[in-house]
Amino acid sequence: MESRLFVALLLLCLAAESCYGGVLFSSLPRTLEITASPQQGQVLRAGEDRITVSWGFNQSVQASDESYKRVKVSLCYAPVSQVDRGWRKTVDNLSKDKTCQFTIVERAYDASVRNHIYEWMIEKDVPEATYFVRVYAYNSAGEEVAFGQTTDVKKKSDLFEIRGISGRHLSLEIASVCFSAFSVASLFGFFLIEKSKAKGFSKN
Amino acid sequence: MDVESAAVESQAPKFALPVDSEHKATEFRLFSVAAPHMRAFHLSWISFFCCFVSSFAAPPLLPIIRDNLNLTATDIGNAGIASVTGAVFARLAMGTACDLFGPRLASASLILLTAPAVYFTSIASSSISFLLVRFFTGFSLATFVSTQFWMSSMFSAPVVGTANGVSGGWGNLGGGATQLIMPLVFALIVNIGAVEFTAWRIAFFIPALFQMLSAFAVLTLGQDLPDGNFKKLQKSGDKEKDKFSKVFYHGITNYRGWILALTYGYCFGVELTIDNIIAEYFYDRFNLKLHTAGIIAASSGLANLFARPGGGIISDAVAKRFGMRGRLWALWLVQTLGGLFCILLGRVDSLSASIVVLIVFSVFVQTACGLTFGVVPFVSRRSLGVISGMTGGGGNVGAVLTQLIFFKGSKYSKETGITLMGIMIICCTLPIMLIYFPQWGGMFCGPSQNISSEEDYYLSEWNSQEREKGLHQGSLKFAENCRAERGKVKGFNSDEAQSTNIE
Repeated sequence: MESRLFVALLLLCLAAESCYGGVLFSSLPRTLEITASPQQGQVLRAGEDRITVSWGFNQSVQASDESYKRVKVSLCYAPVSQVDRGWRKTVDNLSKDKTCQFTIVERAYDASVRNHIYEWMIEKDVPEATYFVRVYAYNSAGEEVAFGQTTDVKKKSDLFEIRGISGRHLSLEIASVCFSAFSVASLFGFFLIEKSKAKGFSKN
Repeated sequence: MDVESAAVESQAPKFALPVDSEHKATEFRLFSVAAPHMRAFHLSWISFFCCFVSSFAAPPLLPIIRDNLNLTATDIGNAGIASVTGAVFARLAMGTACDLFGPRLASASLILLTAPAVYFTSIASSSISFLLVRFFTGFSLATFVSTQFWMSSMFSAPVVGTANGVSGGWGNLGGGATQLIMPLVFALIVNIGAVEFTAWRIAFFIPALFQMLSAFAVLTLGQDLPDGNFKKLQKSGDKEKDKFSKVFYHGITNYRGWILALTYGYCFGVELTIDNIIAEYFYDRFNLKLHTAGIIAASSGLANLFARPGGGIISDAVAKRFGMRGRLWALWLVQTLGGLFCILLGRVDSLSASIVVLIVFSVFVQTACGLTFGVVPFVSRRSLGVISGMTGGGGNVGAVLTQLIFFKGSKYSKETGITLMGIMIICCTLPIMLIYFPQWGGMFCGPSQNISSEEDYYLSEWNSQEREKGLHQGSLKFAENCRAERGKVKGFNSDEAQSTNIE
């Protein structure tokens, strides 16, 4: 009776997990090796600099890459850039995890190639923050089954910074200043007109 | 006698709407734009709407702005508080400015002086500059006071609640509309080809331009009073220029103004707090997309289309039968019910129930706002602007306090904060029971036993020297026109006392 209850509970948990589609990050084996071109502490510029990533299956690990069908390499926030920013929070359930928000490359997994290389121009919508690079392997059902990352488990080493674009342009600044000046000047213009009208009225 | 009155009549302008002895309209015709009454109505609500759009233009674009400016959650929270803090004193100052210079110049000045803050949002580059632009943009919310003052100057007692409610409600609508407008404008600009971090900056020019244009419209098309503008009337001697110190003194020494300031903090202040926190609440608690959370947040603000005007209409309708006592009872009842629904909002667990309770709660709270400004026009005649400003400012103080106590940091979860806010609403609404008008009564007491009339109440704001100079004439006319606030009680027929219409 108790064992049946236990099995039912276990099945329920597994069913719940698949219902919520949440693969837990802590359950993934680190079987992929990945390196990225930025050095520790290097500062790159969004929209200008490039990152070269190279990844491959770690042959020395006791695992098989048969189930790997797709691979996605992402740019992920380091803990220092997640402080007081709930929208970048790391959560174990990968369907709710917000650590990695920018995709560098996503493609089918090719087991015959030992080392994949990809060069990525840092897009202009990448914000200013500290990052590392992570790669996920997906099975045919689209679930994460393995990962690799450029930093250590605590996410403290080999982090690099990206300086975002400001989004400001000289034309915007000039327009802002001109319209603001016009706004204030037109107010005083109206005052003068009102005054002269009132003077004219009282003269009459 | 006829010739004399004919001469007087030919000097007095003809109005499209029926008016009372002060030339205030006794009817409210929504779809008319006739000068000066209905035109003033449309100018005031549209300019106030534009200010609300500008003040709350940032929240829907925060996901982009926070990445561009590297903001933390604390920075965002502080900017939100700053956006409603500026208006606390601005509203009081605006009230005084209206009393002294007229609502037309006062509101247009504020709008044109805060438009630069909206333009400069486009070039914000850090959390500090972001906080500063939100702070200064928030000053424009003081146009609420000029809106209410203008309506109270243009519309007579039987319809003043309706006029105040509709103009205030449709202006507040801007807070909801902006949650839909800004993402749309942003998406359009991105489509044209701008980078995201530039597109949001360009998007801010839209609310800024509309704000500026609305001020131009107010200046060129509006007038302060049915008979003309303040300056013109002051020069011709029809309106006396009042002293700031006197106006201010009579405003702040009227205890009713302080009570209404407190209670308004717990209907309007709560509405502003909800504007700032509710999208995030739904996003976090129910794991919605930001887009969906924004739509739910907008729907709360969009209830202003009918809820606040409804409050004004209810106030006027209740006053027909029960006079001022009815207005006070209605206000207390609706606001207390709003508090109860707020407590409920923090406690419901399902998404659909939460949305329903949110909308019902928003309707009650916004109706209470409309009901408040059904009472405000009667608290003082000489210092109408200061009282409106105190009440309006009190609304913003409520928003600042509530966000500081319940929604800053992680002391309370948002749902607990919302429940506690509901309890605070109920407690802070109780003081309405203390409001007493000697000529009309209060919630629990009837009018004063010593025969006290409207004239006694309003003329007490003028001393004998001022009365000798005839400065109190406006208050005298007003006193005559609000006799209907006695309600239909036995032995008194309000129809007899109402002034005849001047066509």
